[in-house]
Amino acid sequence: MNDPEIISRFEELDAGRILGDLDAGEMDEWEKLARDPRCQSDLSLELAAAALEAEFQDPDGVELPPGLLEELQKGTADFVVQKLSKEVEEKVVEMPLWQKVLSAKNTPWAMAAIFALLFVAQTFVSDPSTSTPGPTTIQVSPEEASKTLVAEGKDLIRTPFEGGGDYKGMSGEVVWSDERQEGYMFLTDLPVNDPESKQYQLWIVDPTRDEKPVDGGVFDIASAEGTTVIPIRNPLLIRDPKAFVITLEQPGGVVVSKQEVVVAVANS
Amino acid sequence: MRSRVPCVGIRDRQNSNTGLILSLFVSGAERHINGGDLLALVAQGMESAMDRCIKEYAPLVWSIVRRYVQNPSSAEDVVQETFTDLWRSAKRYDPSIATHTTFVGLLARRRAIDHTRKESRRPHLEPMPESDSLNLASDGPTALMKCEREDVRQALAKLTDKTREIFTLHFEQGMTHPEIVEKTGLPLGTVKTRLRRGLIELRNQLRPADYPSSPQTPNP
Repeated sequence: MNDPEIISRFEELDAGRILGDLDAGEMDEWEKLARDPRCQSDLSLELAAAALEAEFQDPDGVELPPGLLEELQKGTADFVVQKLSKEVEEKVVEMPLWQKVLSAKNTPWAMAAIFALLFVAQTFVSDPSTSTPGPTTIQVSPEEASKTLVAEGKDLIRTPFEGGGDYKGMSGEVVWSDERQEGYMFLTDLPVNDPESKQYQLWIVDPTRDEKPVDGGVFDIASAEGTTVIPIRNPLLIRDPKAFVITLEQPGGVVVSKQEVVVAVANS
Repeated sequence: MRSRVPCVGIRDRQNSNTGLILSLFVSGAERHINGGDLLALVAQGMESAMDRCIKEYAPLVWSIVRRYVQNPSSAEDVVQETFTDLWRSAKRYDPSIATHTTFVGLLARRRAIDHTRKESRRPHLEPMPESDSLNLASDGPTALMKCEREDVRQALAKLTDKTREIFTLHFEQGMTHPEIVEKTGLPLGTVKTRLRRGLIELRNQLRPADYPSSPQTPNP
């Protein structure tokens, strides 16, 4: 065979490979030709086949099996958490003494102070540009979702936020379910922040997760009126949260907080 | 009562494309998000964009997978694997090379055909490349394609009636090669050749007009 014939034969076999219809003899031939520098496979045939598949399907008329969407989303949550867990484990600051502090001091502000000291001691690892994702949003409103959680959650933790310093006038509550790994903050009279200047950030303290606080994400307060509902989308599994701490940080949040502005603490 | 602060103001800190993220989740704006933008958000690790992708593409993925995988339970597993691939490989998506639908369809086909090959235990079969090796962005000019739906339709219109007929039987009605043989009375070799050369011809039609032509392969 001359060059064009060889290339043509390889292309035909490659199309068979993409279509999944090569027999054993053809596959051997394809493998042999694929090593020939004159024969180069690329994605174009596979893309053409995929375009055909999409063209001939009618997704609008497809009825999915019951529960498939939910299973897929549950599966997604699993592998997203796996990925994020790995990243966060590498970045979250160590807090070697905080468990002792927590057991000895029940007042939230004492705990927050220790929290701050430990963070300050390890500021060298702060790198907001590589921070982990914050609480992403949900597609039903937080108000609706929180009502569902409150109505259906069987192991709800409900604990009030207590504002400190300039934030004493705020009030709020955090609702959390270990079983559902879902929670919301209900925040009232928390000052509106300028996202270009500062953002609020949530930290979750869970002693069962060794000695590392979990970044609960960055959020903004857009209105000073009424109560704002903020969903918590934790990147790590939370088993037994002992405290929820809100700090004010630079835009985008931080990996390690200096705790310069502790806005509020909810100690459960 | 409508939430005063629906979802606006919550930002994904890993993502610098804040405007796009916000537009994705502001009530009423969801349906205007381009599929390519959605994949870009998935590539940046945005879980909620992945949820949206699942809702958007699950019917397409399911319909493709079911063409190859008859067992419903196995098909569900393959669909799950496809979306896992999507999460891992979304960063490799290049909208200048293929549409988002084609990209997702490609992932679904790969997974489904891989599954079929494993099930059939046929020897000497080349495994499909892992999705991590999928690189639309750097495969060079040979991968450049016009894959918009209208492009595909125009390309199909230029094929022979015989090729379109066999494409319909295979891609639309989901017939296997033996079923096509039974339906059309054509020899198996002709069915295979017609499908293969038809695919090559379609690919050539989808390539840019100035792309060097490949060796001619007459369609039987």
